[in-house]
Amino acid sequence: MTRFGGRRAGPGYVWHPVRRALARGLGRLVCVLLALAAIALLAPVTVVAAGAAAFGWWRGWPPRRLFAAAAWCLPMVVAWLTAVAVWPVVPGGTGGRPPGGAGLWLRVLAAPGRAWLAMLHLAAHGQLAAAAVAAAPPAVPLGILAGGLAWAYRIMRMETGAGGLTPAAPAAFDARQWGHQVRTATAMLAVPGALPLISRGGDVVTGATIRSVAHRAGRAAAIPYPRLRSHQVVIGSTGTGKTTLLLRLWAGFMAAGLRRYAAGGADRPLLVVLDCKGGASSRKVADRARRVLRDAGARSTAIWPDEASLSLWELPPDRLVTTLLDLIEHGTGGAAYYSDVMEALVSLAVGAPCGPPVNSADFLGRLDADWLSAAYAAAGDAGAVATVRSGKRAFDDVSLRFRALWRRLGAGLDGGGSFADADAWYCILEGTAESAVAEAQARALTDLLASYATGGGREILLAVDEFSCVSRRLPIWRLYERARSLGLAVQVSAQSWEGLAGSDDERYRVAATADGGIWLLRTPRPEPIVELAGTRSFVDTSRRYSGAGSWEDTGSSRARLVPVLDGDIVRRLDVGQAAYIYRGGVTYVQVKRLTGRQAALAPAIVRDAAPAVMRDAASAADTLPLPLPRVWPGDGADPPSPRPWPLPGAPGPVHVPDASEVLDEAFGARRE
Amino acid sequence: MTIDRERSALAVRNADALVFTADMYGIQFDQLAALAGGERAARAAVARWRTLGYADSARLSPGPAWVWVTKAGLATCGLSYPPAQPALSRLAHIRAVTAVRMALQSTAAYQLARPFWRCERRIRSRHGVGVRQHLPDAEVHWPDEAPVAWAGECWAVEAELSPKTVARTTAIMREILVRTGDYGCLAADAAVPGKPARHARALYVCSSAAVGTVLRARAELGPLAARIEVRDLPRDALL
Repeated sequence: MTRFGGRRAGPGYVWHPVRRALARGLGRLVCVLLALAAIALLAPVTVVAAGAAAFGWWRGWPPRRLFAAAAWCLPMVVAWLTAVAVWPVVPGGTGGRPPGGAGLWLRVLAAPGRAWLAMLHLAAHGQLAAAAVAAAPPAVPLGILAGGLAWAYRIMRMETGAGGLTPAAPAAFDARQWGHQVRTATAMLAVPGALPLISRGGDVVTGATIRSVAHRAGRAAAIPYPRLRSHQVVIGSTGTGKTTLLLRLWAGFMAAGLRRYAAGGADRPLLVVLDCKGGASSRKVADRARRVLRDAGARSTAIWPDEASLSLWELPPDRLVTTLLDLIEHGTGGAAYYSDVMEALVSLAVGAPCGPPVNSADFLGRLDADWLSAAYAAAGDAGAVATVRSGKRAFDDVSLRFRALWRRLGAGLDGGGSFADADAWYCILEGTAESAVAEAQARALTDLLASYATGGGREILLAVDEFSCVSRRLPIWRLYERARSLGLAVQVSAQSWEGLAGSDDERYRVAATADGGIWLLRTPRPEPIVELAGTRSFVDTSRRYSGAGSWEDTGSSRARLVPVLDGDIVRRLDVGQAAYIYRGGVTYVQVKRLTGRQAALAPAIVRDAAPAVMRDAASAADTLPLPLPRVWPGDGADPPSPRPWPLPGAPGPVHVPDASEVLDEAFGARRE
Repeated sequence: MTIDRERSALAVRNADALVFTADMYGIQFDQLAALAGGERAARAAVARWRTLGYADSARLSPGPAWVWVTKAGLATCGLSYPPAQPALSRLAHIRAVTAVRMALQSTAAYQLARPFWRCERRIRSRHGVGVRQHLPDAEVHWPDEAPVAWAGECWAVEAELSPKTVARTTAIMREILVRTGDYGCLAADAAVPGKPARHARALYVCSSAAVGTVLRARAELGPLAARIEVRDLPRDALL
């Protein structure tokens, strides 16, 4: 039996290299000619397919978007087929009736062929537009589908290393596609309304999707609200858009939380940000955060300690004792004795029969042996009085340490505020300039928040930026575990993997427990996160080099595991681009920047009249949340008294009639 | 049918409350009940307004439903405001300003003097689009012949729920107190030296979160601080 077209001939026949090359060349020529004929025959479909594949390449689309586009054409096809089926039969004249039964189905089945014939006739008569319209209903969806298949095949060939003229072609293809995908995502950011903060499904939209690996992502990169209620990690170097991403996430948390709260599905959200760097940059971020959160629906954003204060004294007495002791640094060894003495005296001061102290002055006033003796003697507590007597010599030392502590801490923890007073708290800790103070503040703030969280009634997100600056006394993993037990979500951000925590063990512990995902911006050492992100199956193809200047299309393929996250892409990420790692998949996102409404300017007429130095200070004060320390001209001169604002028509002291009568009746006493 | 519709159009319940609602962007049902003299009267009024197509209502926030005036209702009231449902992000503020207005209106001096409450919506409707000036939440114009010591004054009213920066609050206070022209006037007339100030005083009604910032901002003003009144928001003003 002879195999038609088989490669083996009869016995004794030897393939000659020249004959073999000629046969192969002829075979390819025939194939090409057949393909060209098919392309010409199905011209409308092939033209659309080529256009769709080219469009997919140009926009960097995944093939499924072309398939979706083809699916969206189906209503047009159904309408066209319906029209063909029910159109009245006109046998050689006007009028007629719709066909029925088998005739109807025959017309539907023959419709594509008739459309193709109609197109040929119209094209032959030079009516190209009419020809295109006649062929469009079947050709457009089929063409897009074919283009999608071709594009998927091309991607598959390139991803497996089997496509392209050289083995380097897949890498070049991937780099080009990355550029196309970034361009598409950036263009989407510019479309007004294309990326709302909250999607129709209630998800938080962070930006436009550039590329996704093992994630099913749409054009808009959105994460469900519950992930923001889980622990998250954000890592990115300075100037990579980390603050922009964080603001977007915070605003999304606030907006989605308020929406759920309004629908009665959740408690009111509370955002607490601990910015552990401090300085002017933190205050600028605080101002941006306030504007953005206000637009997201937050009623109020308190900036601590500059504009708002909290009260440490609202802690339960037992918790207050622990917190006060933790604020003071203790030694070890022989110093443990003094720690015990201090603990005893602080417990006595806090647990005095008249109730816990209400402020620092009250507390410091109680660190007095006579006062405590009298207080406990009046209550008949002889044991406490004996303790006071035995520790009498230590009172001065303990009092001195706490006086120094409160002088350094300032009034931020000695006010009357509570976390309940605002929807968002932006707490600025001077971790860079005064690390010891910031450490104590961080400890106190987390204790206050933990105490507030135990009361329930709020969905809390605690965002800590560069917490490693202040984590000497409160390791971040302990904060994590504590937050988990209280139902708080913690979002940790750092400039590098090393800034995430003090030791590698802690870093892995923090990153591995980020249930809500990891956000990675450009960073020079992404390897630990690459390792944590996991792997995926990948087909690796080798190609044989013939030695004649080209690579043959023979080789071998094998499946192996490669990291889901490409570390080289992370190192090359541009400003505003981030990789979101979640459950063994990665989505690369172009983050959409949120811009809060700008504050209005003061009247220009007065601004122009002010001296230059004052004008600078005033303009800066419009953008910063704090009154800046003013710089006055002249060396060593005392600052002049504040220049009164020019009051049109009423210079000098201002006298207005007393309107307390109506205002007291309406709103109560005047606030001073 | 036409006759019935015309007859029903004449019987608008609580026309004052309808105008009030239009002025305030919208009103929450409990505040409307206080305004209309009872929950039953408020329900009847809202039902009537809805039947006539003058108002719409929905539950936009926690608590009672919100009522706002439609395009037809605004036309009936003779108001040329752009019709819109109250913005979700402004609901808390709208409620606070409404509470301030109702608290002030309930005082004996107010009822005696019968001043004019010029709401933010009215000010904004005259204000040019794109002009970056701060608009007060309301102005209260006391008649010259009113039997009160402050007759003839114009007050600016600000309801402060969330604290701004001290610098920003100070700038707003100064802008209010040095203003000479009406809102919507030429920019050159907004603050003219030598002319009397438009607002004799500014009334800041603040939440507990904002009062600290406002007091600090007032302290920065120097002699002008005497023209700033700072009070607490009424108890039921928060959303």
